[in-house]
Amino acid sequence: MPKTANPASEYVDNVTDTVQSFWHGLSITLSYMLRRPITTQYPDRTELRVRDTLPPRYRGFLEVDAAICTGCQACERACPIGCIQITLEKDPANPKQRVVTQFDIDEAKCMFCGLCVEPCPTGSIQHTREFEGAQRSVRNLTIRWAEPEFPVYKVAKGAEYFPRVTLGSLVRAKLDARPWHAPGPEYLPPEPPSAKAAEPAPKPPAKAAATPTVPAAKPADVMKAAAEAAPPAEAAAPAAPTVIAPVAAPAALTPADGQKA
Amino acid sequence: MEKLILRRVGNTGEEMLLNFGPQHPSTHGVINFLVDTDGEVMKRAVPDVGYLHRSLEKIGEITGYPGFMPYTDRIDYVAAMFANEGYAIAVEKLIKVEVPPRAQWLRAISCELCRIASHLVSTGTMATDIGASTPLVHALRERERVNDLIEALCGARLTYNYHRIGGVAFDMPAGWRDKVLAFLDHFDTMLVEFDRLLSFNSIYVKRLANVAVITKEQAVDYGLVGPNLRGSGMDWDVRRDVPYGAYPNFKFEVPVGRGSRGTVGDTFDRYYVRVLEMKQSSQIVRQALDSIPDGEFMAKVPRKIKPEAGEAFSRVESARGEMAYYVVSDGTDKAYRVRARTGSYMAMGIIEDISPGLMVADLVALIASLDVVAPEIDR
Amino acid sequence: MPVNTPPVPYQPKSTPKVIVAVTLAAAVGIPALLLGLILLLTPILQPATIDAALAAAGLEGHRTAAYVGALAVLALLMVNFGAIFSGVISWYERRIAGRMQSRIGPNRAGFAGFFVWIADAVKLLLKEDLVPAEADSVLFRAAPYFVLVGFALTFVVLPFGHSLVVADLNVGIFYVTSVTALVVVGILISGWSSNSKWALFGGMRSAAQVISYEIPAGVAIFIPVAMAGTLSMQGIIRAQGGLPWEWFVFRNPAAFIAFFILFTSQLAEANRTPFDLPEAESELVAGYLSEYSGFRFALFFLAEWGNIWVLSAVATTLFLGGWQIPFVSAEYVDGLRGSGILPAAAWWGWNAVSMVVFVLKAIVLSNVVVWLRWTLPRIRVDQMMALCWKYLVPGAFACFVFTLFWELAVGVAPGVEVVTGVGLTVFATVLALLFFRRVRLNIQAVQGDKFDLSNW
Repeated sequence: MPKTANPASEYVDNVTDTVQSFWHGLSITLSYMLRRPITTQYPDRTELRVRDTLPPRYRGFLEVDAAICTGCQACERACPIGCIQITLEKDPANPKQRVVTQFDIDEAKCMFCGLCVEPCPTGSIQHTREFEGAQRSVRNLTIRWAEPEFPVYKVAKGAEYFPRVTLGSLVRAKLDARPWHAPGPEYLPPEPPSAKAAEPAPKPPAKAAATPTVPAAKPADVMKAAAEAAPPAEAAAPAAPTVIAPVAAPAALTPADGQKA
Repeated sequence: MEKLILRRVGNTGEEMLLNFGPQHPSTHGVINFLVDTDGEVMKRAVPDVGYLHRSLEKIGEITGYPGFMPYTDRIDYVAAMFANEGYAIAVEKLIKVEVPPRAQWLRAISCELCRIASHLVSTGTMATDIGASTPLVHALRERERVNDLIEALCGARLTYNYHRIGGVAFDMPAGWRDKVLAFLDHFDTMLVEFDRLLSFNSIYVKRLANVAVITKEQAVDYGLVGPNLRGSGMDWDVRRDVPYGAYPNFKFEVPVGRGSRGTVGDTFDRYYVRVLEMKQSSQIVRQALDSIPDGEFMAKVPRKIKPEAGEAFSRVESARGEMAYYVVSDGTDKAYRVRARTGSYMAMGIIEDISPGLMVADLVALIASLDVVAPEIDR
Repeated sequence: MPVNTPPVPYQPKSTPKVIVAVTLAAAVGIPALLLGLILLLTPILQPATIDAALAAAGLEGHRTAAYVGALAVLALLMVNFGAIFSGVISWYERRIAGRMQSRIGPNRAGFAGFFVWIADAVKLLLKEDLVPAEADSVLFRAAPYFVLVGFALTFVVLPFGHSLVVADLNVGIFYVTSVTALVVVGILISGWSSNSKWALFGGMRSAAQVISYEIPAGVAIFIPVAMAGTLSMQGIIRAQGGLPWEWFVFRNPAAFIAFFILFTSQLAEANRTPFDLPEAESELVAGYLSEYSGFRFALFFLAEWGNIWVLSAVATTLFLGGWQIPFVSAEYVDGLRGSGILPAAAWWGWNAVSMVVFVLKAIVLSNVVVWLRWTLPRIRVDQMMALCWKYLVPGAFACFVFTLFWELAVGVAPGVEVVTGVGLTVFATVLALLFFRRVRLNIQAVQGDKFDLSNW
């Protein structure tokens, strides 16, 4: 509004401007009182479960269908933050078959970017529409898709369709398997260098040293001392009792873990 | 650092030296200002940045070219599409790949929707800083609708990671076009109402008019970009003047501050330029949806991106101004240097020199009008 | 591995019926109890009735004790009313604010979140009680009580109905303005005793605000006083009538303007938006409330929200006809009292009606206060001072001078007032209708929105 040289008319203008702005402002806020608020009263007063109202491309928790995973490690290479940890081994019974012995995804570290989903040849790893996975211990957010370990899927020549379970059912099962406040797995300190320096390869701490990526190797360190499923690798069993011995307080472990790799 | 700033602030004497931040509801992020004031009027306000530094540019040297894309979202998470696009254009220049036209159109659509979302946050938070808390919630409500649209398009609501080197990640889902048009019909009418609630509210105008005037010469000297620059009267918009992508095909106006309620270059101008830009963005999206060509949405890009040694520079008109990327490659598959030049960083420079003589309440208005987003400053 | 399990059944829940019942009982019961007690006790615990009762019982010697007891009961009642109103309006404001912002406010603590004010009060009580080491401990602890006393003392003269006032002082409205000045003392003390430069500046600034706005408020108060010829609150109400054109606000064009001046000035004195600079400074730094926590903080806010009632009640008394019932004159109700110690039943009935009228008018004004807060931005210190001294004070004085001449004119030709009354009532009604039409147009203007009261 151009400034008038006349202070009297500016005075009057001020008053009329004020009255006019009150008129418009008050009418708008009163009109909003009469419109429906858009609040979604999550989680118990929505018409549908929120997870069912999300669009199909929603990037929620990652899920791996082990039945069709080919063990190509493309997702591990594509991940910019290193939250996927895959280990492949030859099946001792059948040397031509490879077995995925470790497929850990650290959902806490994952930034839900979707770069791992794109290179997967069979569509085994997908983002689901699950987002309700809050856990009390952040270590419980590492989901192990290779328990039990599985053989890699051989893609038939010319196949265009790979059968996959309902999207989200696997990860939902994993998240529902334990309560949200379950304690996380306990980690043991790394072995003292003098005692076990010459140990042969198949042992969990050595596995971590073998995989070069950024320190998401925490899950690899886990001695299955805490309440976990049966230890997957055959070599872990003899290793476990020997390493359990020097354990002291769990509180001392937290800084030590991160420096493992 | 404190000593350096205290030396610049000078001898405080009778006045108080106050920390305005880093935790503060009005600083739009984690920024600290050292304010030298006597309680009413400031002698000087010196910004102290770095609280939100996450070494993103260094990470760009480790992840490899495609892997850095989600990190660009985090450079400015309020307007993440532009960061994606800038980086994608820079790397496409490095590997000399041409983006198919459908992808260019999709990039433009997603970017303009993101511009609307970002300006909604900007104007809403500005209103809250001035004292009217209602418009913020209305603005965020509309932003939620934009987020829903983009969620249907790419799967995420804030850190989109939608653009890829060579195109975009997904094509439009079925029915999305109609949803966007319905939203735009609603949004155009809602913007009129939002304008009435704020821009014609005399208390709001009196708080903003003639406050913290930045002249055109000052704006250019300090390197301000985007609505800050245009609010000071300088007619410069990268979309029109250094066109990229699909923008040459759209007709849109570039709003420039005219001093309609006070002086050219005051906070009201910068605010009003953003409101007008939202209107223009809505028109651009309509034109784009009408004229989008068919075809591929992603070019053929090698699996492992390993450009020849060289450098590339790209500029996009982000919501906050001109965002420029400078990517240097040394021939390997990991970049040698990724540098992002953002608008908020430049805006920090001018605060110290505009602040003498302002009241503390006006400092709040100034920061809000410069649309400062802290992650952009510190990266 | 679940492959294609049927979806887990899901039903949205709503509030259990028990909670709805308890909340409704509380929401209706608490105000009904308070207002009922005010209705019953305020006319009885008056000196005349007490004297008559003591004489009838033969206990004249215990007059002092009886008076003290009566005053204690009334004080307890009034302060409770203030506190509970303050709590309830904090809940109400949050719900209204939510609805105006396209969201719902608190809705889980009790049905529609009604108990959230009790939860807040309990939370503040249980917080740590901090007194800064460098602060002046006696004054720091005393400051909230000055504010609280300044707020509570106004209840002595606030009328609730035809004869429902603790003490109808003959300097009623003057008493209100003088007692609210204690609030300024409280603010200054809290700012100074916090021993923080910023708190001191914040306190001085808000003290300046309150003191400056006392002037247009005071001058605007002269106008109904001049029209009624008395300072007593009940007297001012009795000089008006029940029908809208008998209210002072419509009887005199200057009073129409003075109503808005008074309302604005009282908003500023009560530190409500758009004048909430003392709290807005807490957006930048903390202002005079910075060092307070826990219950002392609660006392400041109790006084602030309770002031909404005081300002609504004062504005209703002075300009909107108070408790006057349409078509029933105050003298008629006086005549129904009877000569016994306790009044007759019909009198009680009309008193109850007058209380309902007063409370409804005051609630409408409280709604406007809440509505303004969530619509308008804050104004800056210098603009606030400019508004006061350049616009409100001259306006108020102009209205006052006009009123003096108007009263002379009315003395000569009483019909002028009736004409103006009816004219301004019609004008106000037309404005209100246009306003609601504007509200409806607003909803229609935005595509996709409609009138919808669901989603509580």
